[in-house]
Order: sequence, then structure tokens, then C-alpha cells
Amino acid sequence: MKFKLKRVEVQSRKDMEMIDITDHVQSAVSDAGVCNGLVFVSTSHTSSGLLVTEGIECLERDVLAHLERLAPKEPPPGTYGYWHNRYLDFDGRLGFNAGDHLKSILGGIQCFFPVEDGKLVRGGRQRVYFVEYDGPLARTVLIQVLGEEC
Amino acid sequence: MHSGGIDFHTHPLLVREMVQRYPGLQAAARDIFHIGNTFQPLETFLLELDAAGLERAVILPVDAGSTRGAKLYSNEQIAELCALSDRLIGFASVDPLDPCAPQVLQKAVNGLGLRGLKLAPGMQEFHADDPKVFPLYERAAQLGIPILFHSGMSWEPGSRLKYGHPLRFEDVAAKFPELKIVLAHLAWPWVTDAVALALKYPNVHLDTSALYFDNPRDFLQFAMNTQVPLTVFERSLRKQILFGSNYPRVEIKNMARAVRGLGFSDECLDLVFRANAEALLGGAQ
Repeated sequence: MKFKLKRVEVQSRKDMEMIDITDHVQSAVSDAGVCNGLVFVSTSHTSSGLLVTEGIECLERDVLAHLERLAPKEPPPGTYGYWHNRYLDFDGRLGFNAGDHLKSILGGIQCFFPVEDGKLVRGGRQRVYFVEYDGPLARTVLIQVLGEEC
Repeated sequence: MHSGGIDFHTHPLLVREMVQRYPGLQAAARDIFHIGNTFQPLETFLLELDAAGLERAVILPVDAGSTRGAKLYSNEQIAELCALSDRLIGFASVDPLDPCAPQVLQKAVNGLGLRGLKLAPGMQEFHADDPKVFPLYERAAQLGIPILFHSGMSWEPGSRLKYGHPLRFEDVAAKFPELKIVLAHLAWPWVTDAVALALKYPNVHLDTSALYFDNPRDFLQFAMNTQVPLTVFERSLRKQILFGSNYPRVEIKNMARAVRGLGFSDECLDLVFRANAEALLGGAQ
């Protein structure tokens, strides 16, 4: 059994953004020297996500808009507020991004795919996305390949 | 978007390239300034400005050598960082009680090209109206540069609120009418006192970098519409208010959105985000 972990830095450029990282996952699989097994992908940040969906811009917009409706950055004035809106003494700053943490929970932070004959196995329309909910920031994505050595 | 917009209040403490060059800046960020966020490439800082629809940012050091044993960026490090991007406007800092402070400031402005002075009475443990600091104010006025004072409450451990009360700045404003003074953070919680100073002394300006509870939208509505009606800022102080975020304690995008949502006229927003800052910086030698 072989385990290979790759850390990829992704620079988000907007407040909210879906960044296609399928090629990173593909190359991590190719470089790992694993014939048959799994690839596991995860974001290491709690205000970002990892999603699999079809790679078209209209759908990217819909995903972000829907998550923003479910967990808005700023709830409408006079409706409700987040408990997270307070000073965090361990961080030296205020929270106030509960909506972005909630999007991360709703959308998820991980995905995995089979590896067969040294190749990533995925549906023809499936793309792997790093999802930024509170950017721009330099973020780290973890790609772990595990399985039988070639 | 505000073409040419300037964030007048940022701290470059999380810029990864500078921490890699000067590892001591890491302890300064964590232990003295007290910020826990991850270090980021300079590109993130510039993208933050893009996300906020702004072009440039004033970057602020604090010389806390005699009170905390370290500088949160030296003047030379600020100049070095400014050389990496023409979107950054460097300010200097000096030890205000050092008799050589006026000369250090002059060298930073004339030699390094820095365009203002940052002083933090709480962290540097001096009262702004201490006559021992007056020669420094005189030199800043001669150089035509603004002084941005931390005022109001500070999150830094060990920084006492007593140094930040706006009334400690009245003698300075009165004795040095040519000196361009910026009181940061709306001097919160003493917003009314700070507004009174600005109403009386046209050389006193206030920056918006205030966030002490809730979120930027709700906090600024409280400070700039409940504590003091927004009409006071719009009608009486529109040429004395500057946009500032206090990044990285708060993201620039969030503070910019909050200020734009207050209800100012477009003309006033242009003053707050651009013209007032340009007017203050214009006199730098």
C-alpha cells in the first residue's frame, strides 16, 4: 500500500469564487505511482469548500448564489444575526463571517474518486472545484492518493 | 467602484514575502499587534484592494522599540515593501519621546520617500498632548505630511484606553493648525468627542476603520448614524472623513461595502474614498 500526500496552494482572486482544480488532482494521481486505489481531496480551511459538479460558468454562478441565499454573509437588517459576530481574542479580530463557514458546511469540504490503472476515474462532466467563500486568499488544498503501488 | 480610491489605514503585518525576509516580523504580528490570521502573499493584499474596488493603500508601521522591544516594520522595511508595488503608500513611524525623532522623521520622508507619520499613543505609551512631542509635530507640519494617530480603543494587549481619548489631541490641533491630523477608528467609543474636535478644528480628520462588535455594516450604522447622525458627517465633515479599513483585522472589502451602504451621497463617497486622502497626501515633499 502506498500513500502520497500533495499540498497545492490555490490563490483565490474574489470574495466568492469556484476554481477548477481537476487538473491538479489528475496530475497528483499521475505522479503518485499508485495503480489501483483512491484519491481523496480536501480543503484545509473552514470558510472554503470542495465540490464536484459540471464545469460550466452558469452552474458555478448558481451554486454560489444558492449557497449565499441559504447562508448570507449579512442577514437582512432586522431579521437575525450570527453569534459569531464578536471579537475573537485568540485571533485578534472579529468573526462576522459565519455565513461563509455555514456555506462550507452546507457545500462540504471533501471529495474522493477511484484510481484505476494509474488514472483518475470520474464522470465525463464531473469537475473538481475548490470553492472560495471569503476571499481573496492563498489557500491550501490537500490531495491524498492511496492504493497499490505500480 | 471608486476610481483612484485609497484605503488610508492598513497594516502590512501578514505579508509573507516580508516575513520570509525578516523573521522577527512574525513575532511582531503575533505577540505585539496580536493577529492570528495566516501569512499571505502580497498578491492577496492587492487582490483585497481589487475586491474592494480601490486602487491604493496606506501602509502603517509602529515604532514600539522602547515600549514593546520591537518595531512593527521599520521605516526601511516599509520603503522596501512599497518598492514591490506602486499601489502602496508608505508612512513612517518614530519613537515620539526620542529627542532625535524629528530628524528620524525627516530622513524617512526625504530619504525614503515616506508620505506620512503613524503614531500609536497606546502602544508607544505617550499622551499626544505631552509637550515633549511638540517638536515632532512641528517637523511634520514643516514637511507637510499628515500624522495618523491611533485613537479610541485598541485591541493590542497592554495598550491602555487612556492614551486614546480624543480630548488628548485638542491641544495638538489647536497649537499646530497647519498640522494635518487623522484620528483613526473614529476614536471609538468616543465618537461624539472626536466629531466635536473635527467640527471645531478643520485640521482634524477621522478615519472609518472602526469595528468593535457585530459586523462592519451594523457597527458603522451604530457609530456613524446612531452615535452621531450621518447627516453630521455628510454636511459638516464631508471633507474630513477618510475611508480606512484596519486590514488585516478587518478585510478591506467588508469595510468598503459597509461605508458604501451607510447612505452617503455619491459626491460624499468620492470625498471619503478618494479626494480627502489625495488632499492630505498631496503636501508630502
